[in-house]
Amino acid sequence: MAAEIASITQLLTSGCMSRMVIRAAGIEKVVPTAEGQLTILAGIELEINAGESLAIVGASGSGKTTLLGILAGLDLPSAGQVFLAERELTALDEEDRALLRGEHVGFVFQTFQLLGSLTALENVMLPAELRGDADAEAEAIGVLDKVGLRDRIGHYPRQLSGGEQQRVAIARAFASKPTVLFADEPTGNLDTKTGQKIIDLIFELNQEFNTTLVLVTHDDRIADRCNRIVEIDGGRLQ
Amino acid sequence: MAWRDWRSGELGLLLVALVVAVGTVTAISLFVDRLHQALLLESANFLAADRYVSSSREIPQAFRDAAQARGLQITDTMVFPSMVFAGDERNQLVSVKAVGEGYPLRGSLVVSMEPFASGQDIDSVPTPGEIWMDSRLFPSLDIGLGDEVEVGLARLKVGKVLIKEPDRGGSFFDLGPRLLMNIADVPATEVVQPGSRIGYRMLLKGPDTELEALKDELPLEPNYRWVGIRDSSPRIGSALDRAESFLLLGGLLAVLLAGVAVALSAHRYSKRHYDHVGILKTLGATPNQILYGYLGILVVIGVVAVFLGLLLGGVLHLGIVAALQTLIPVDLPMPGPRPFLLGSATGLICALAFAMPPLLHLKNISPMRVIRRDLGTAPASQWLSYGAAAAGSLFLLIWYSGSWFLTFWMLVGTLVVLVVFGTLATLLLRGGRIVGMQAGSGLRLALSGLQRRHKENTAQILIFGLAIMLLLILVLLRTALIDEWRAALPENTPNHFLMNITPAQLEGVEDLLADGAERQGPLYPMIRGRVVEVNGIDSQEWQDQHRHPDMPGPRLRSERNLTWTTELPKDNQVVSGRWWGEDSRAREVSLEGDYARELGLGLGDVLKFDIGGQTIETEVTSLRKLDWESMQPNFFIIISPSGLQDFAATYMTSFFLPTEEKRFLNRLLSEFPTITVIEVDAIIEQVQSIVDRVTQAVELVLSLVVVSGCLVLIASIQASRDARMAEHALVRTLGGTRNLIRTSLAAEFTALGLFSGLVAVVGAEVTVWLLQVQVFELPARLHPWLWLLSPLAGAALILVVGMVGTRRLVSSPPILVLRALS
Repeated sequence: MAAEIASITQLLTSGCMSRMVIRAAGIEKVVPTAEGQLTILAGIELEINAGESLAIVGASGSGKTTLLGILAGLDLPSAGQVFLAERELTALDEEDRALLRGEHVGFVFQTFQLLGSLTALENVMLPAELRGDADAEAEAIGVLDKVGLRDRIGHYPRQLSGGEQQRVAIARAFASKPTVLFADEPTGNLDTKTGQKIIDLIFELNQEFNTTLVLVTHDDRIADRCNRIVEIDGGRLQ
Repeated sequence: MAWRDWRSGELGLLLVALVVAVGTVTAISLFVDRLHQALLLESANFLAADRYVSSSREIPQAFRDAAQARGLQITDTMVFPSMVFAGDERNQLVSVKAVGEGYPLRGSLVVSMEPFASGQDIDSVPTPGEIWMDSRLFPSLDIGLGDEVEVGLARLKVGKVLIKEPDRGGSFFDLGPRLLMNIADVPATEVVQPGSRIGYRMLLKGPDTELEALKDELPLEPNYRWVGIRDSSPRIGSALDRAESFLLLGGLLAVLLAGVAVALSAHRYSKRHYDHVGILKTLGATPNQILYGYLGILVVIGVVAVFLGLLLGGVLHLGIVAALQTLIPVDLPMPGPRPFLLGSATGLICALAFAMPPLLHLKNISPMRVIRRDLGTAPASQWLSYGAAAAGSLFLLIWYSGSWFLTFWMLVGTLVVLVVFGTLATLLLRGGRIVGMQAGSGLRLALSGLQRRHKENTAQILIFGLAIMLLLILVLLRTALIDEWRAALPENTPNHFLMNITPAQLEGVEDLLADGAERQGPLYPMIRGRVVEVNGIDSQEWQDQHRHPDMPGPRLRSERNLTWTTELPKDNQVVSGRWWGEDSRAREVSLEGDYARELGLGLGDVLKFDIGGQTIETEVTSLRKLDWESMQPNFFIIISPSGLQDFAATYMTSFFLPTEEKRFLNRLLSEFPTITVIEVDAIIEQVQSIVDRVTQAVELVLSLVVVSGCLVLIASIQASRDARMAEHALVRTLGGTRNLIRTSLAAEFTALGLFSGLVAVVGAEVTVWLLQVQVFELPARLHPWLWLLSPLAGAALILVVGMVGTRRLVSSPPILVLRALS
């Protein structure tokens, strides 16, 4: 009996764990070019569960970054539906998509994308400020501490090394306690050693914050650290 | 966000452009406003009042009551000719002016205790029993201060020498030597009799609104004339009108140029924030948050800019006033609130119309830009940008000029330039590319760069072209205006006239003039005569048939000065008929065109003149047009020599005498006391001083507009700097030398300047032609020298500004440039 209860509990827990966070159905992306319509993505069906880490891999120009943008609600598909945190992204306008991003999504980019006019602390505080959180500063200092930049909070991005800048970007992403973290080639601009440290940091924080991770990379070693790998080629999932 | 942006220096350029816009407009309007008021005040000196009512009848008491009820200051003057006697031997015809207390209401009287001295201002009028007289009356009457003279039946004591009176103008032959007396003494002289020729004036001073209301209230027609500066002195009136139009135009152009500078800076600011907004959006910033955030920045910037701009404008205009203190020796009145309102509104409108559209566009930036830079720059709504800028410009132009007409022609000129020269610029760029293919590497790089960014460069050529065009328009108009003013009154214009020279005195007078005066005009014989018959009909009857008795105008039967000459006088032009030849034996007469028309006279009419009891008959063979504004003797009636040369004539001539040599008149009049001297130097001096000041104002406004124009050039080069920097940094990483970059940049700027100069000269010629014909009523002409000068000057200007603006681009290591831009 106890075993049954334990098994039901495990089932429930695992059911909870495997709750779907992202679902993409029939995604297509077509853009007009001088030579006619160009299909970038076609027939994409994808489901990502909470707490899962997923690597999207593929050659340059295969469409992986476009897919990331659509899954995160940065862009809209030409056809198909995307659900994020139980809401249909594709049915929202830009205003509501922005609010949804602010609440559920964190980003880490290849080119760091810090605002050069803000200090490290201000960059990390920004998402919380945009949401109107009162204790943005305390939280931001806490996360900067976790990424090891406690003593660099007053520095501007141009005063930081590439690795440090990416750590600020990671702190910014986790400071808003996102449901999903999207990472686009997060080590693409860093040397191997620094890249390794950054990846360690991402996975470490991912674990700690229990975040879902969607990672675009063409580095097999990084992809191998994820629970699941999907490959994209010519705009279609393999 | 605003503070963070400011701290990073991103907002500096926009703020500077707005401050300059507000500052320039405020400084120009402050100065123009104050100078305009001063010019009006100074011009009012010509009237000795703000306005006056004049009549050959006495001014009714009801007029005075009405003026006083409105709180206006008033005083009366009477002007009449009279003989003045000193002892038994000496007498002289003078023009008496009798004035009331308070005269003059504007300007001041200048008197001295010695004839022909420079004198001092005095703020009183002769006391009853006392008169003040022109210097030249002292030698001709052979009297001194303290002596008594007779005016009519009154004996009055000579108290002071009258050097200058503000309203000395009037018609040419009305300029007898002046005798100023108190109006209370007039009854005692008993010169005012029924039929006396007296000019009555009621001088008025007060606020414009009250004056205009009084004008509407008084029953003026048909016997009383209301006179303001524009009516009393058409030459000064038109100079003022044109100067005002010009200053306004200058102000307008400064506003437009400032607007363009603001738009360019805002556009650059907005472009540099695409990534910024992309990141903000990925972090959850909503389009509305972005919109309100940037609008908030704009409001803060706008308010700060207005505050700083007003301060800058105030300081700048004080600097201008201080710099020109020696040139503008008039006390400038305090400015009204309008310049400050105008400056503030300009700041806000520039912010709304020119800076807001590019910022509004920011809310549409897609967050996708963060991962795919080629995406996410939805094109700005062209209609919104251009529509807002056009509406803003239109509003500012109309408000600033208060003239739909001027605004309309300005816009026509600008539109023509935009449409036609957009095409021209594209063609020039294409042509440049073809030439570039044949050229060396620096030039090829430059010209292919021009062609590659052809949209931006077309816009830049248009903006440069527009700025240069506006400058050219101002320079051309300024030259045309000033030339015309100067031509109207050249230096050494004869400023004294001698009349009543008998044939016996002729030689002596000529010798004396050759010795003492600087330049002498021609000699005209003068004979007094009147028209008694036209085509056998009595002249009074003829006049009654052809003109209503109450109509103003010359009277046919009045005694007039006739002259005879073989040559057509200078400034006269035959408009119909023909001028008689040198050997004409017929008795012919030439009439002034308006005089003939008003009296119903034409070619072929036969006029019979009575000259001292003898009559002659002459046939009208030509009609002439005169330049009444020239300070030359003009005659309604000129007769062929065969008609008049047998009559005894006196002669008149004119000469130029500088102020410091006025004592020469003393010598002349002591030697020839019967000669009449008419001094017009004071009038000419007054007109010239007004023209000089207007010219200074015009030149000052021009220089401020040039500064605005240069700011636009800098802003425009700044706006395209990033694209150039990225390209050239790349070329350098690929092995391009600094020299190559420098050559390429120089070639690019030179080409842009050449093209812009070419565009500008075409636009300027068209606009100036329209403005001259439509607004300033000046003759239009082309300026061939400009077609060479403008492209060269454009190239030089943009080359210098461009090379200075991009010098860091050449000297910084390419990696720094690329890193700064990524």
